[in-house]
Amino acid sequence: MRSRGMISLIGPLIMLVAGLGFALGAVASLDLGSFRRMGPGAFPLLVGGLLAVLAAIGVVQGLRQPETALRPDPVAVFGVVAGVTGFAIFTPLAGVLPATGLAVFATSTAIPGVRWAHRLILSLAVSIAVWLIFLVGLGMPFVAIRGM
Amino acid sequence: MDLLSNLALGLSTAATVTNLTYCFIGVFLGTFIGVLPGVGPLAAVAMLLPVSFYLEPETALVMLAGVYYGAEYGGSIASILLNIPGTPSASVTCIDGYPMAQQGRAGVALFMTAMASFFGALFGVVVMVLLSPKLAEFALLFQPAEYFSVMVLGLIAASIVSASGALRGLMMVCLGILLGTVGVDVNSGETRFTGGIQELRDGVSLVVVAMGLFGVSEVMVSLRGATKSYAGEKVRMRNFLPTPSEWGRSIMPAIRGSAVGSFFGTLPGTGQTVASFVGYALEKRINRRRAEFGKGAIEGVVVPETANNAAAQTAFIPTLTLGIPGSTTMALMLGALMIHGITPGPRLISDHPELFWGLVVSFLFGNLFLLVLNIPLIGIWVRLLRVPHHYLYPTVIVLICVGVYGISNSITDVWATLIFGVIGYVLRLFRFEPAPMLIGFILGPMMEEYFRRAMLLSRGDPMIFVERPGSAFLLGAGLLLLVLTVVPIKKIVQRLKGRLPMGERVARHHK
Repeated sequence: MRSRGMISLIGPLIMLVAGLGFALGAVASLDLGSFRRMGPGAFPLLVGGLLAVLAAIGVVQGLRQPETALRPDPVAVFGVVAGVTGFAIFTPLAGVLPATGLAVFATSTAIPGVRWAHRLILSLAVSIAVWLIFLVGLGMPFVAIRGM
Repeated sequence: MDLLSNLALGLSTAATVTNLTYCFIGVFLGTFIGVLPGVGPLAAVAMLLPVSFYLEPETALVMLAGVYYGAEYGGSIASILLNIPGTPSASVTCIDGYPMAQQGRAGVALFMTAMASFFGALFGVVVMVLLSPKLAEFALLFQPAEYFSVMVLGLIAASIVSASGALRGLMMVCLGILLGTVGVDVNSGETRFTGGIQELRDGVSLVVVAMGLFGVSEVMVSLRGATKSYAGEKVRMRNFLPTPSEWGRSIMPAIRGSAVGSFFGTLPGTGQTVASFVGYALEKRINRRRAEFGKGAIEGVVVPETANNAAAQTAFIPTLTLGIPGSTTMALMLGALMIHGITPGPRLISDHPELFWGLVVSFLFGNLFLLVLNIPLIGIWVRLLRVPHHYLYPTVIVLICVGVYGISNSITDVWATLIFGVIGYVLRLFRFEPAPMLIGFILGPMMEEYFRRAMLLSRGDPMIFVERPGSAFLLGAGLLLLVLTVVPIKKIVQRLKGRLPMGERVARHHK
């Protein structure tokens, strides 16, 4: 029970840190100005302060009525991160289309119960679709395949 | 006469081949993502934002709007056939739609939802045409204090209807506003919270935030979720027509649903989901046949569908006349307008009449397209539900990457989107719904601007916000909304009456 209570506090605590961070950052490094002519730091200080107050209420509420956090799915996160990372790394190296195929393949490996052949076909099909829609259709200035 | 000439102007804008084509693409895509549970109109509009940079502003808006209201048509299909709402606002349609399908009357349910959607949408468009110019005229009286206060009202409304509750919604709004302060301050030229990173000087890109928080994190949530595809029988055209008595029974509920929907659509921050819930709860209270509700009553699909489609259209009213988004997706559309250099606000209708009236007329075309897509061509969507939709998610991820990369050929933007995706996922785990954050992010910079201007006008006296009657009214309305949400009125009523109110049961079903 105790650990569950702790988990429900993490959310509001993140918000508390964010609110205080912006508020203190505004005080420390920005000009607050006067009421009449507000500087760049005034508004972030106000909103950051408000966020901190709301988060503090959230912390108190979390102590009184502990809530559970949702269960994370590391495999799904890994699949998506692998896909986007693959795209970001391979686009400058090989061009948009190979990067697209790779990203689809990488993300689809995280989904259980799909045949490898289907994953390959999907990668190929999406690459062709991207080529048709974005390069041919919309004429976006991409390098389709580097060296071609 | 004025109205006719305006509509003629709109027709000349909307009836070009380009705009009709993009209108069709918009409503087609909208139905598509509406049909598929898990991907909402918000993610779809976010994904189309980069594409819209390549279009004229009218064309871009016509397409994005089409996605928005098209999704309301599509959302009910999965509700009826699978008992899974395709969009959140179609969850009420499950209550009577799914029992109808189980009784072998799926065809009738699908036909009536399409008709009801069309009716509701037309009702909403009429309300929009009549109300928008008046509201815009009125809003021209607004000074900075009123603008600030109407935004406060909109943000409060957006956070209290958030799925994660009012307090968390408000926190997310604040976080969004703070995120919007990152970059160069327009008044002083000072950089704020960039941490010395050069790319952050222009602020965080809207597309990056929207795609990360919605697209990427939504796929993380759904990628390995249990999928269910339609295994039932084919839906045939000849099983479509309702009986004459069912037609008759539907007329009054359709009008009531449209009226409720139009009202809630116009309120800033609320939207189709609230509209369909309230519409259903109200109908259940006043309809003579209320005992049949929940067992496949035709009114039970007509009311929520008229309500959410009417709301989808009237949500454009505050967005286009005040610059206050009627819903989160509307906030994104505001962003799209601003990217095209158009400032939303009361001057939009007079400064860009072709945009406003063109959009209005495109709604009529779009809804006609939707009627065709959803009645004669319903088979396509039923077949789409048979495809296991886990093929969809890897595709969505790549479309997000390509879209973000396409804004300025920058790989840094792709990395930033991934970071926001992870942030959005973590926030979702702790039950912080990202929608209010996006509204805060879009409205934040405008709010700050109006706040500073109001304070300058009042010579530094913050009382200006309560001394000006318009501003005081708006702030009071916001405060009232907050109090009504925070104070457990339901419990008090329950204790007084000793029973559960009607709306309660519907709300429970939703959770």
